[in-house]
Amino acid sequence: MNTWRSLWRLARYQPRFFAMLATRVFSIALVPQGIALTTRAVFDNITNEQAATVGFWSLAALLVGFSVGRSLIIFWNVVLSVRVEFTFATLLRKNVFDHVLDQPGNRALPESTGEAVTRFREDVEYITKYLQRFSFALPLVAFAAVALYIMVQISPLITFAVFLPLALIMVTVSAATRWLRRFRIDNRESTGDVTSLLGEMFGSVEAIKVANAEGRMLGELKRLNSRRKTYTIRDTLLTQALNSVFQNTVTLGTGLILLIAASAMRSGSFTIGDFALFVSYLYTVGWLNTEVGGVLAEYRQTGVSFDRLRRLMQGASPGRLVRHQEAYLGGDLPEVPYTARTEAHRLDLVEVDGLTYRYGRDGKGISDVWLRVPRGSFTVVTGRVGSGKTTLLRVLLGLLPRDAGEVRWNGEPVGDLAEFFVPPRSAYTSQVPRLFSEPLRDNILMGMPESRTDLGGAVRAAVLEGDIEELEDGLDTVVGARGVKLSGGQLRRSAAARMFVREPELLVFDDLSSGLDVDTERELWGRLFARTDATALVVSHRRAALRRADHIVVMKDGHVDAEGTLDELLQGSAEMRRLWAGDLGEGVAARDR
Amino acid sequence: MSLPLAFSEPAVSIKARQYGDLFRRYIVPQMPSVVTLGVLLFASLGMQLVLPLIVRHFIDEAQVEAPLGTLATLAAAFIGIAVLQQVVQVFATYFSERVGWTATNNIREDLAGHALSLDMSYHNDRTPGEMIERVDGDPNELGKFFSLFIFEMLGSVLLLAGILLLLLREDWRAGLALTVFVVAGMAVLTSIRNIAVPYWKANREASADTFGFLEERLAGTEDIRSNDAKPYVMLRFHELMRGWYGKALKAGLMSSIMFSTTMFMFGVGSAISLSLGAYLYFGGAISLGTVYLIFHYTQMLVMPINRFTQQLDSFQRASAAISRILELNAVRKTVLDPPAGEWADLSTGSAATTPSFRRKPESSFQALPVEFDGVTFAYGEEPVLEDVSLRLEPGRVLGLLGRTGSGKTTMTRLLFRLYDPTAGVVRVGGGDIRRMPVKELRQHISMVTQDVRLFHGTVRDNLTFFDETVPDERLMEVIDELQMRPWLSSLPDGLNTRLLSDGGLSAGEAQLLAFARVFLQGSRVLILDEASSRLDRGTEQMIERAVDRLVQDRTVIVIAHHLATVRRCDEIVIMEHGRIVEQGERLALAVDETTRFARMLETGLEEALA
Repeated sequence: MNTWRSLWRLARYQPRFFAMLATRVFSIALVPQGIALTTRAVFDNITNEQAATVGFWSLAALLVGFSVGRSLIIFWNVVLSVRVEFTFATLLRKNVFDHVLDQPGNRALPESTGEAVTRFREDVEYITKYLQRFSFALPLVAFAAVALYIMVQISPLITFAVFLPLALIMVTVSAATRWLRRFRIDNRESTGDVTSLLGEMFGSVEAIKVANAEGRMLGELKRLNSRRKTYTIRDTLLTQALNSVFQNTVTLGTGLILLIAASAMRSGSFTIGDFALFVSYLYTVGWLNTEVGGVLAEYRQTGVSFDRLRRLMQGASPGRLVRHQEAYLGGDLPEVPYTARTEAHRLDLVEVDGLTYRYGRDGKGISDVWLRVPRGSFTVVTGRVGSGKTTLLRVLLGLLPRDAGEVRWNGEPVGDLAEFFVPPRSAYTSQVPRLFSEPLRDNILMGMPESRTDLGGAVRAAVLEGDIEELEDGLDTVVGARGVKLSGGQLRRSAAARMFVREPELLVFDDLSSGLDVDTERELWGRLFARTDATALVVSHRRAALRRADHIVVMKDGHVDAEGTLDELLQGSAEMRRLWAGDLGEGVAARDR
Repeated sequence: MSLPLAFSEPAVSIKARQYGDLFRRYIVPQMPSVVTLGVLLFASLGMQLVLPLIVRHFIDEAQVEAPLGTLATLAAAFIGIAVLQQVVQVFATYFSERVGWTATNNIREDLAGHALSLDMSYHNDRTPGEMIERVDGDPNELGKFFSLFIFEMLGSVLLLAGILLLLLREDWRAGLALTVFVVAGMAVLTSIRNIAVPYWKANREASADTFGFLEERLAGTEDIRSNDAKPYVMLRFHELMRGWYGKALKAGLMSSIMFSTTMFMFGVGSAISLSLGAYLYFGGAISLGTVYLIFHYTQMLVMPINRFTQQLDSFQRASAAISRILELNAVRKTVLDPPAGEWADLSTGSAATTPSFRRKPESSFQALPVEFDGVTFAYGEEPVLEDVSLRLEPGRVLGLLGRTGSGKTTMTRLLFRLYDPTAGVVRVGGGDIRRMPVKELRQHISMVTQDVRLFHGTVRDNLTFFDETVPDERLMEVIDELQMRPWLSSLPDGLNTRLLSDGGLSAGEAQLLAFARVFLQGSRVLILDEASSRLDRGTEQMIERAVDRLVQDRTVIVIAHHLATVRRCDEIVIMEHGRIVEQGERLALAVDETTRFARMLETGLEEALA
């Protein structure tokens, strides 16, 4: 889908865009034309000594009238253009976001989150601003066409003799803006270097003091500072030089008119009114050049912005980015659907059969994993770091796409794992769960209707009630990056509460207990076991969990090394014995032994 | 250090004097450029005022049908002056930028140096972002103000004054009428200039909220998906966009008040000047050319009025920036060098009148003893260390164990004089460290923390902290000594490989790099805060070898997390709540089953220290 078609598809989504275009034709083309022509008429009236007539005073009143009209229509323009801009921006962001949220966990974004947010902000803005620019450029072109017609009527010679060289200057100068862009990039980079050095410097004050490196750091700052000065001055100077030419087309043009029209003015065939009219048209030449030049120059960059957004939407057809969906800037907001747990969701047995997944290049991952999780059981997956425990859970839940193997729910093969393994069938707490900057309550509920859930029960099950009491606003305390910072243990238990509140048939947790003290951990497992019908699949290497397990699966190098009860494994599996004994389970301890 | 005498004087004069100080330090040295800038500015203004006068002359000459040659000369003069004015403008910009940037760069460097020298307690309360604001943001504000002040404020006011004066000279009625117009316009624009500010602020906040929301959600797609919360997240997205839209609309409308008022003034100004011109022309007071002149000058009035009012607030912002700069400059450090002449000799501990410790580290490399003598310390009210005493003989390795918050890290910080103890004495090489110059002291102690700080730069920059004078051979020597050659050759550009501050190296590789820094520094006491996380096996082995080499001829304090490291220690100290609860030879503690250390080994270090 090329850039024009994408833009056209967007524009069609919002009919107000065309209303905005029409308003701008009025405010940019018609009113200024009226003012220019009226001013000319006033001068001609004066020259012809008709100033005392009614005609003269009504012309003056007309000038004021035009100004009032233009001022009023500016407000209407703002209302339209903000609405139009937000509709386009919302639609684009929604289409991307919607698609990203549907992707498997680790594949959701091809770039870093920071980069993705930059695209959500800047590329979307670039596209919407481009459409705005369009709505300026079109009326200006209309204005210019009319102006040209009028000028040719007055004097074709002066028209071409003045505006042709000006147009040439403009085009030449526009070409120089390419330099400007390069200067601008250098400038931004050198500025970024200074601030990032300062950031690193003040983020590492202790390290710098300890290393006695204050002087050397300041030397580096000095070097970057003077580079930035050079680049900034270069950039500002060129900008100023180009602006001078752009903004002063009026002055230069006026001079040219004087030069060429000298004899015509002397003879009176080119009046003072005509002169004033030509000069006022000159005012728009710079603007016209900026806007029209902008529309042409930014076309390619707009295409790049479309591409950058599309690259965030892996596997989507190009049309999805500009798909028409409700933007909800007005009217009722959509409701969040709620799925109640029914008999149909009941779990009797989950079977994993030959599950295989390999990470990209080095071929690490899991291969041919078998697993049986019956109703009411507590299954622990254990193993060294990198043995594939977490990968197993994630592939099972569809957060990583499986390469081979089958997962059966009550004997029925499951097709789309990610679609299937969600509440109320299953819920999952990852090794590094994330909470968002919202009240703790919203973080736990995440859209579940509070009236239909047992929030208090979920909080207790996660052994979180004591922590909540200590928070100033209890469950309404805003947590996360921009709120109260929770400890690692509190974070994990909040995520556990988020899982419990959904009352899923199958609970899946990855290393929930790390970061918990021994007492809290014991309490947590105790409360979990009090829920008799809970089925749990857990990754852990802690003794408290291993002791309670009905079944333990020992992973090694991506496959199942041994399985059974704790006693069986301590008897039969060397890997299990090592994991049980070793404080580290790592190379160091193993070699020392 | 003497107290500022100015305390006894009125506050205003202090401020004036401090402003004067800034001016003397950063602007006066550039006086020739400043004077040139002033001359260029006046020349440019003068030419802008002359241009309409030429047009007037031209029109009048054309009316009386003067010879074509005269008209052509006038037109050519017009073009010539217009072009010259542009050139002058560009030069003025150049001088203004140069003066501004030279001054602010100097301020920036002075501030950064000053801030860096301040106590850790100052930095602990401030984020790097905040410091960037104070060291870069405030001077930037000042620099911007400088060029704005020159061109927008001063330029606008002089242009306005010039136009009004020339108009008064033409005809007092025209001059008076337009003076009234200017004053009224300024009053109106000044009163509404800030009307949109709070709305834009709300708009920016809404924007930040929305992108903050998106960033968090994009990083948490897995949590959203596995909790089936997509519809909820989409609903919040729509709520945020809708809220932002409302604020953007208000902000847009409010700022268009300013814009439309300006446009309105433009129209009214034209109407006034034309009517007035017609009236005076027919009264025989002025020529047709002067009618045009009044019209043209009026057109020229509106933009400077607008610019001037828009910049009124930059005064306030600049003066806020100046007071923040002065405030930062006034902060004093408490960790001070001893007065010259009272320096302790590191090797003997006796007071010496001259800094006798000037040996090159490699000339006679020997480890130094370290001693804590009844040390108590508090960051605030609560003591973090209480009555800690220990002595570590040269070349010995001490293992410091304890849970997070037990005071281990604080001990290492005291050793560096990042803080001074509330009570008690810390000695290195037998002497009280408060009696050594801080730089000297830090020359002889190194620290490798878990969190190795990397800088945006090459491997070499990161090894030497941007010291370009260290020869490559010296670097390679250290790299070989630590057996890091295979790692270095795995990098694409060797020493010149660029690193990023937030990534690129694994935790283990970063530690190796920090070890190399220790070697380059040639210190004789080493503090090692071992990485608590697990490293991959290859790096782990390289680190083992490097640590073996590092502890050979240094006195070492290691905050240990791994069993293998503990086994390397000669002595063990276990900390709890800021006190030493157990201390002794490692082997002796390990065999005695009643000790905490033996129990720790039993439970497993990792769980015991969690």
